[in-house]
Amino acid sequence: MALSQTSLVFSEGTLLLRGMSRDEVSGVFGPAPWVWDQRVEAWRCDAKEYTAVRQRLVQAGRALDDEVAQWTPVRWPRVDIHRLREEQDAAVAAWDRMRRGCVVMPTGTGKTEVALAIMARTAVATLVVAPVRDLMYQWHRRILEGLGYDAGIIGDNVFRVRPVSATTYDSACIHMDKLGNRFGLIIFDECHHLPGPIRRDAARMSAATLRLGLTATPERSDGRQVDLDWLIGPIVYEMPISAAKGQTLADYEVVRIPVHLSAEEQVRYDQLSGEVRAYMAQRRQDNPDFAWEDLCAETGSTPEARRALRAYRAKQSIEDRAEEKLRVLEDLFRLHAGEPCMVFAGSNAMARDVSRRFLVPCLLSHCGKHERLEVLRGLEQGTYPALVANRVLDEGVDLPEVKVAVVIGGTASSRQAKQRLGRILRKSGNARATLYEIVTADTNEERRSSRRRKSDAYQGTRRRRAGKRR
Amino acid sequence: MLTRDLAIAAYDAGRIVPDRLARKTHRQYLDYAERMLEIYRGGIGQTRRQLHRAVGAVFGNEPDCPARRIDAFCKLLDDVATYQRDTRGRAAALRRDVFHAAAQRHPLVRQADRLFEYEEARVKAEIAGRLGRSWDEIDRELFADVIEFHRLVGFEGYPSAAALLARYNVAQVQAALFGAVSMTVWATDQFKTILRYAKLARLMHTITRTGEGRYCLRFDGPASVLRRTRRYGAAMARFLPALIACRGWRMHAVIQTRRRGYQVRLGLSSQDGLHSHLPPPEEFDSSVEQGLAQKWGPAPREGWLLVREGEILHRGQKVFVPDFVFRHDDGRNVLMEIVGFWTPEYLQVKYETLRAFQEHRILLAVASTVGQRLPELPGEPITFKSGLLVRDVLERLQTFSP
Repeated sequence: MALSQTSLVFSEGTLLLRGMSRDEVSGVFGPAPWVWDQRVEAWRCDAKEYTAVRQRLVQAGRALDDEVAQWTPVRWPRVDIHRLREEQDAAVAAWDRMRRGCVVMPTGTGKTEVALAIMARTAVATLVVAPVRDLMYQWHRRILEGLGYDAGIIGDNVFRVRPVSATTYDSACIHMDKLGNRFGLIIFDECHHLPGPIRRDAARMSAATLRLGLTATPERSDGRQVDLDWLIGPIVYEMPISAAKGQTLADYEVVRIPVHLSAEEQVRYDQLSGEVRAYMAQRRQDNPDFAWEDLCAETGSTPEARRALRAYRAKQSIEDRAEEKLRVLEDLFRLHAGEPCMVFAGSNAMARDVSRRFLVPCLLSHCGKHERLEVLRGLEQGTYPALVANRVLDEGVDLPEVKVAVVIGGTASSRQAKQRLGRILRKSGNARATLYEIVTADTNEERRSSRRRKSDAYQGTRRRRAGKRR
Repeated sequence: MLTRDLAIAAYDAGRIVPDRLARKTHRQYLDYAERMLEIYRGGIGQTRRQLHRAVGAVFGNEPDCPARRIDAFCKLLDDVATYQRDTRGRAAALRRDVFHAAAQRHPLVRQADRLFEYEEARVKAEIAGRLGRSWDEIDRELFADVIEFHRLVGFEGYPSAAALLARYNVAQVQAALFGAVSMTVWATDQFKTILRYAKLARLMHTITRTGEGRYCLRFDGPASVLRRTRRYGAAMARFLPALIACRGWRMHAVIQTRRRGYQVRLGLSSQDGLHSHLPPPEEFDSSVEQGLAQKWGPAPREGWLLVREGEILHRGQKVFVPDFVFRHDDGRNVLMEIVGFWTPEYLQVKYETLRAFQEHRILLAVASTVGQRLPELPGEPITFKSGLLVRDVLERLQTFSP
């Protein structure tokens, strides 16, 4: 019987190896990464091992029938990238030495240009993975502008796969078992999202030999950023935020404006607070340790607990949508009339309140991509004086020339604060950028804001507290 | 199906018990289900938010009802409802017109003064006048494409209040399965249906024979051999209704909870009283099969007992469940596959399958259609015109040596 040849194929996000005995496999590879799969009678491992596996087999001098890589070289129709700044050049060079790894650069320092420069020189089928749909479309546009290539779109109910495509993390994770061998370079934008327990399949199920991660803030609250090392590669370049400030970025300051609830709001707020407190007090009579979590657990069994929870949510909503915020916003619009202005709301409802009051466009998840582009372009070109958004724009959406941002709600998380701040840090001559924070005084919101200011994005910024308004 | 965040389950000694509304313990829910269906049936023209609020009100005084259960019912009702979708982007177009018109007047102030002359109320009235509609109307339609403001235009509904509750119970088991890393089914019947639906859900199988006509079927996915992964949990959830429609099975799934590394077991069987919305599988693939089974009867003939779908033949991921097994008192086993209507291509595929399992004794019965010549087939098939004769089959069975 003739010895069967060693064959390597891509199978649903994994590699299958046939034609090698157990001894041969452990001789060439050692204990990892292959696992015998009785179901198909072959050796199986994650597709991400492809580079290492291939190298080992070649070194061992095995005649290999390798059907894994189905990606092709790409010819860019027209390369038109700005000349890179010194630190961008350094980032590209650092990545090029390893050809897999993460580049850490603050928002607004041109990560996208670094990625485009790398794409231009690797010239291979590339998949760009972005956190949200807006950013996926933004990559599509940037690739068209910079490389003259009309990239495919995978996500947002579109499945148009081309040798160069843009997708979202969720779509990448779902479809990587089918697409994992069609891209030689994979780029993870805002790559701190990748290490989620399921989402990491987007890297694990890809056979791409070239990998690039981009982020301003690799750290995650769960500590899983260490996994980026084997999912993408080590950090090859890091530019600290303090190096960026004042040089490549506009100078900025943070101004905090406390607002108070109106008399009516306060009455309603106190009444709701009372309801919640009364329930807690009543329950603590039987159980002194009765905590908020217990209340949430009880909502399943007692209508009273459900009512208390509803009261709590209504209370939050009053904070979030306090009328006076709209008055303060009017003053800020007056103050910065003629300057484009971004407003970040804490909820969809508040974003719509702002939009209806001032008749400025709002970007929410219901907006189609045309509307989003039209609004963003409109702000850029001065057709629109301002826009209001909620979390949709939390990360990296390009908004050039915005120097005034207003936060009127939102949760306290260090990354969110950094990303939002980064949004207004666009370089534009010597103009100073200002971030206003409008928070309801004496409420939970105020606490969230002070937590937010502790994050290191605010380190060294000048802080002002606007006069108390009553 | 529900989404993962709508799952409700209790945990008990390493077991997960998905939320279940049973007639005994939740009698009042039958009435609630009827009222919810009424709300949707009579709710044409209402917004999603209004409908969801009305559904919430049904449970206003119910002590035993987590908020998530209400949300789950809303999801199941929405699944069979049609909402008006703003496909032509009318709201978006209206927004563009309004915001463009207002852009020149920014900022809209509450009260005009010497610096800023554009008063909110005046500008709004002016824009309304230009668009030829009242401002109230514009304000109502400005965000009509937001999902909570979609209006109900049709409701397919569920056949009955009991059907809605049945669907809820199955949906909660499905939601628990979203976190499944593997699923094992001990089956005694209807193997064909079980395996076909598992394949449709893109699951991989590992089959072990545990006794005569009894199999252990383990389902997971390609990467499961490398690590415990929840990646295929959604596929298992998709597969579940088909399994529930079958009889004679017991199922066990390993579920990974959100807390890292913590695993629980989910157990279920065909005796648990869950009802699938799928009909039970057809007893017979064809009238020829049914005819032969009826003529043969439940007792052995000349020592041969006829059993439907009694054996699973498998190699790797290829499976073949022949229509019948003939078991003889003396231990002989002969499989039989019946081919009624056929095309040359179909017959070719059957032939390949038979070749893959040629170490088994398989008797093939093929309908002889007028004017069509049978291609070469192994082991001389029995041919028949309208139905198989017991006599012909017995004659051929005797040719298989003990």
